[in-house]
Amino acid sequence: MPEGYLRPRLETLRRHQNPDGGWGYFPGKRSWLEPTAYALLALQNEKESPAWQKGWRLLRSWQRDDGAWQPNGHVPEAHWATALAITLHCANKVHDAAFRKGVDWLLATSGAETRLFARLFAMVDKSPTGHDLKFRGWPWRPEATAWIEPTAHTLVALKKAATQISGSELNRRIVLGEGMILRRRCSDGGWNYGAKAALGIELPSYPETTALALLGLQGSREADLTAALRQAHHLWQDSRSRWSRAWLAISLRTFGTALPEESEGQQPTHDLILTALEALATPDGGHRYFRPTGFAA
Amino acid sequence: MKSCLTRRVLLPAAAAALASCQKAAPTPFAGSSPVAVLKAKSYQEDLVAHILDGIRLCGLQVKDKRVLLKPNLVEFDAATAINTDVALVAAALTAFRSLGAASVIIAEGPGHRRDTLGLADEAGYGKIIKDFEDNFVDLNCDDVSPIKNFAGLDQFFFPNTALAADLIVSMPKMKTHHWAGATLSMKNFFGLVPGAIYGWPKNTLHYIGIADSIVAINRQFRRTFAIVDGIVGMEGNGPIQGTPKPSGVLVFGKDLVAVDATCCRIMGIDPTKVGYLTMATDLGALHSSQIQQRGENPTSVRTNFQLIKQYQSLRLT
Repeated sequence: MPEGYLRPRLETLRRHQNPDGGWGYFPGKRSWLEPTAYALLALQNEKESPAWQKGWRLLRSWQRDDGAWQPNGHVPEAHWATALAITLHCANKVHDAAFRKGVDWLLATSGAETRLFARLFAMVDKSPTGHDLKFRGWPWRPEATAWIEPTAHTLVALKKAATQISGSELNRRIVLGEGMILRRRCSDGGWNYGAKAALGIELPSYPETTALALLGLQGSREADLTAALRQAHHLWQDSRSRWSRAWLAISLRTFGTALPEESEGQQPTHDLILTALEALATPDGGHRYFRPTGFAA
Repeated sequence: MKSCLTRRVLLPAAAAALASCQKAAPTPFAGSSPVAVLKAKSYQEDLVAHILDGIRLCGLQVKDKRVLLKPNLVEFDAATAINTDVALVAAALTAFRSLGAASVIIAEGPGHRRDTLGLADEAGYGKIIKDFEDNFVDLNCDDVSPIKNFAGLDQFFFPNTALAADLIVSMPKMKTHHWAGATLSMKNFFGLVPGAIYGWPKNTLHYIGIADSIVAINRQFRRTFAIVDGIVGMEGNGPIQGTPKPSGVLVFGKDLVAVDATCCRIMGIDPTKVGYLTMATDLGALHSSQIQQRGENPTSVRTNFQLIKQYQSLRLT
């Protein structure tokens, strides 16, 4: 990848780091966990720098007593981006007690639809979703239903963590999470946000959810991903959304697909997550941080 | 997380249920509200003039207010009519600026698409609205502040941009909705809920209950105005997979319950059978006797929207 594409993105991230060390979703906004995690991944080659270390310390300070990370310094609630914090810990090779506590929280969390009341309700519900509730995924928030995106992020985190933490529960949740994603695949081969149909009508797949689902399924024994990768490639070719193209490039490159490089003339936007994702999506970028190297299904 | 049916779980739940039974029913809205219905056959008409007419007919004061225009940006599909048309949003920007608003911004937090700016770009917002990104706030990723006691939750977070606005102008598309019956100016406020905390989709609202959430958000944000894009609406399996429905109207009003009730009557839907409207009778005027209709009579512009089979019972007789 020519430096002319990657360099301005990394410079944009450096320029918009907040004084507390973190990153907002947009320049000048408060620091949040999600953009901070992606920015630290994109700038992983600078992890010895004081600026990177300040961001890392801020992110670490947002862990709650129960092991979950909160979404920023002002919202003291457990959040799905705990998965990103774990992935970042793995990229940074930090596998300490905080890391283990975070993994434990992820293992103890699942979509609310799998709880007893919800399963009893599903037995009498006249409009069932058709989901097999034994395949437990992860929700955006602990009180809500499992969706493709948080499930995929958590699978990436747990598969990376699996090289450091062994245990039957970890392996069981990985298998169940993969099963959840595989059973919600759309007929076109990709993934929608949460279901493959609504009110009996098939739903189309979306670029970013397809990209993330594939990341979550890396190393799966059960999955034949040929059609999904083909669909992801079609979506990458057809999509105008830079957000979608960045996630698809990260995912396809993680699977070894060769893609042409993006135009050097394309300037970074002021969306700081997109800027970080575009940096991670480059051939020499950090898409490898989403790869669960060493994970044996 | 394991389900844990203990007394610690069941007793507070039982107490809460009892308390809700004992809670006095809210006092029904006793006033009357103006709602203006104006004909507009296409997006090529002078929409600024229509909007200024609608504002005048409803007696809205705009001068020196910080105005937030909240369109409905959901998904882009060139074959149908999902989003508030960009021509109407551009016209509103011009109209509110011309009336001396202190500031006018466009803000939205789409329900499931993460790439808000990409979605706005596909819907033509970047092309048609000058300096769009400088005048736009992604409410999904805005900084937030807590609100206490929201819909049975101890606290709930809303975007600072929405909390700071003096006037929020709900600009929905006139659409049927496969979970709520119809999605209009009140349901459009789901876009005020930050995805960065509640996810994509904002699934916490589904757990609170869609109707309960609509009412709770509208109870929170009371300095409002509505401009409903009914020039081309959506019927059938809305809000995304339905079909375009040319209806040729714009609907205006400060009372969002009255606006939505009027829109329902135009769509051939009985508003007294729409769950969230029947739960909001303390917030505004549901019954036509309480609504001062200005401009066109809703009956004269009624055009029945197709309803999916689950909502056939909502048809206005």
